[in-house]
Amino acid sequence: MSILFDSLSFTYSDGLKPVIDGLNCSIDRSGITVLTGASGCGKSTLLYLAAGLYPENAGSITGGRVLIEGRDPAGLAPPQRCRLAGMMFQNPELQFCMDTVRNEILFCLENISVPPEEMDGRLHSALGFCGIEELEDRTLLSLSGGEKQKAALACIVAISPQWLLLDEPFANIDDESARAIASSLGRLHREKGIGILAVDHRLDSWMGIADTVLAMDGGRIMPERIDARDIDPARLESLGIIVPGRSYSPSIPVPSPGETVLELRDLSVRRGKEELLHGITASFRRGMAYAVLGESGAGKSTLFGALSGIFPYKGKALLEGRDLRHLRRREAGRIGFITQNPQDQFVGGTVRDEMLASLRNDPDAAGRSEEILRLIRLWRYRDISPYMLSQGQQRRLGTAALIAYDCRCLVCDEPTYAQDRRNTMAIMDSLCREARERGIALIFSTHDRQLAADYADEILMLKEGKLHAVAESSL
Amino acid sequence: MRSLNPACKFISLLAVTLLLAGLRNPWWNLAAFSASMLLLLLSGVRMRTLLLYLIPVALAAAGMFFTGYRFTADGSMPVRSDAFLQGSSNLLNGITQLSRVLAYAGLGYLFALTTDRVFMVRSFQKQLHLPQVFAYGLLAAWGIFPHMALEYRRTRAAFKARGIRVFPISPALLAPLLVKSVRWSEELSIAMESKGFSSDAERTESTPVHVHAKDAAFTAFCCIILPVTAMLLR
Repeated sequence: MSILFDSLSFTYSDGLKPVIDGLNCSIDRSGITVLTGASGCGKSTLLYLAAGLYPENAGSITGGRVLIEGRDPAGLAPPQRCRLAGMMFQNPELQFCMDTVRNEILFCLENISVPPEEMDGRLHSALGFCGIEELEDRTLLSLSGGEKQKAALACIVAISPQWLLLDEPFANIDDESARAIASSLGRLHREKGIGILAVDHRLDSWMGIADTVLAMDGGRIMPERIDARDIDPARLESLGIIVPGRSYSPSIPVPSPGETVLELRDLSVRRGKEELLHGITASFRRGMAYAVLGESGAGKSTLFGALSGIFPYKGKALLEGRDLRHLRRREAGRIGFITQNPQDQFVGGTVRDEMLASLRNDPDAAGRSEEILRLIRLWRYRDISPYMLSQGQQRRLGTAALIAYDCRCLVCDEPTYAQDRRNTMAIMDSLCREARERGIALIFSTHDRQLAADYADEILMLKEGKLHAVAESSL
Repeated sequence: MRSLNPACKFISLLAVTLLLAGLRNPWWNLAAFSASMLLLLLSGVRMRTLLLYLIPVALAAAGMFFTGYRFTADGSMPVRSDAFLQGSSNLLNGITQLSRVLAYAGLGYLFALTTDRVFMVRSFQKQLHLPQVFAYGLLAAWGIFPHMALEYRRTRAAFKARGIRVFPISPALLAPLLVKSVRWSEELSIAMESKGFSSDAERTESTPVHVHAKDAAFTAFCCIILPVTAMLLR
């Protein structure tokens, strides 16, 4: 009754360092286990191996084996495999094939050859379990991120596998939906006896339902099994895991506030028929760091999207006194953006081109790009596509490229998303130092209140479509 | 029309389209267009929706009318216009061209606006033996089209943020979109596989798609009765 990783080694490409390196571990079905660790440590890869999706879809096993309930998942055909282990993915947008919730669940049941006369019963039972009966005939496109994850869970409940494997299922949904899904997962485990193994870099949503926390580092699972009900923050911190409430101890110069560089006046943004942001008024000064807090779905990405020109807005957004909508092309770069997904900001064909794009006006662009790439340890990858880098490397490149660019205001949408404590501190230290030294107004969004308290000079809270200033002491 | 078997409907409307291509008679074209509009309205398509869809068709039809009406080759050209004239006068030639656009658009809308895409794929798979990996891949791809517009805007914003000018269909702009499309398709295919989908495994059907008497009658009307009638009336 377990998942067994027996001396497992896995690599994405021959000649590359193995992502999983001689890993030995057994995970029991009697509890809910959360596997955590830094970005790029191999935890998602391990989950895909347990689900039998790798090595069929990527990479190769160079040693050892994976057994789930005593069977090799990769050796099974998909219809048999999914009854052994169901999988829920991070991105709710990219896991459906049909048009409505009903058709998607029926698609799953057809795949595993459930007799047609049983399908309606299993469909309604799954919808009822997840509390989404009213969504049965809704199109998947019309659902929110949280509703999509509930629909994905209903698919798994309908298939009723022995194991449920989750890859950061709460990453793209609001906190309320995360709590509702976490509660359903707890019931799924207790009432149906389904084993649960989840991968997550944050533990907040799992507290209360998880039994065991395992930490992963450098392709191996730490021998220590942490009881999820009795976590020692110091121990987690020593493993590089972000612990809510522990200071980052930033090493940045003191702020010297300059003049206002960006001013928002009565800004409103509409997405579809709903006005997500309304009446936002704020000003941002040179050399200062501003944190924007707010629950998932509060509108942080919408606000930043409006400033970057992705979403239209009403009201005024003035950069050095000129409306962003009326900036000339060569002036548009005065406001830089670091996106949540670094792939959204790449403009170069190679890593070096990506840096050179930011240093176009620098007479020593070649020398400076080499210096920066060596500093962020990407010089050896200078001639490959930025898309070929690992997620952590992409984040470093994206941040460095925008820091190098000569902008007046830098807007960062969760710059430390999915980073471990060490990388988080390195990214924030360099962003804040550059902001101070070059007189840039730095605006960053985050879910981490401690990060905001440690690095921001002013903290703003986005709630019910409005932006409020909050005191550090009230966090 | 909505309840007709999509595979039968597809074959029937294709047969009518091919028939009209060979007839060169504007009255048949206009009759096909009128019948299509009537059937669309009877199938519950709203008049406003239909009128909106007909705007580009009307523009194309007007363009084709003037092409047929105004531009004819004279005797000095290596190819004489007589060989291509659809009727005895320029006006009739213009009307023939216009009516063809209307007829083809009408038949196309009749299929597109009265067919559920999941029902269509199931029917094509069952009756026309469309491989299931292609059928369900098509459905999955349908779901990600709406995200492409947002991704396009995001990519443009990234270039703008670095002061780089890009044209709307610049290769520099399309390259990241292409990479994302490949990544999305990989993620989707993995998600489908994790739900038990396999290109060659046997599957059950929640709602089996059959060919009923009305489907056969509609197909027979379009594929046999109409062509025979057209031949007799020539």
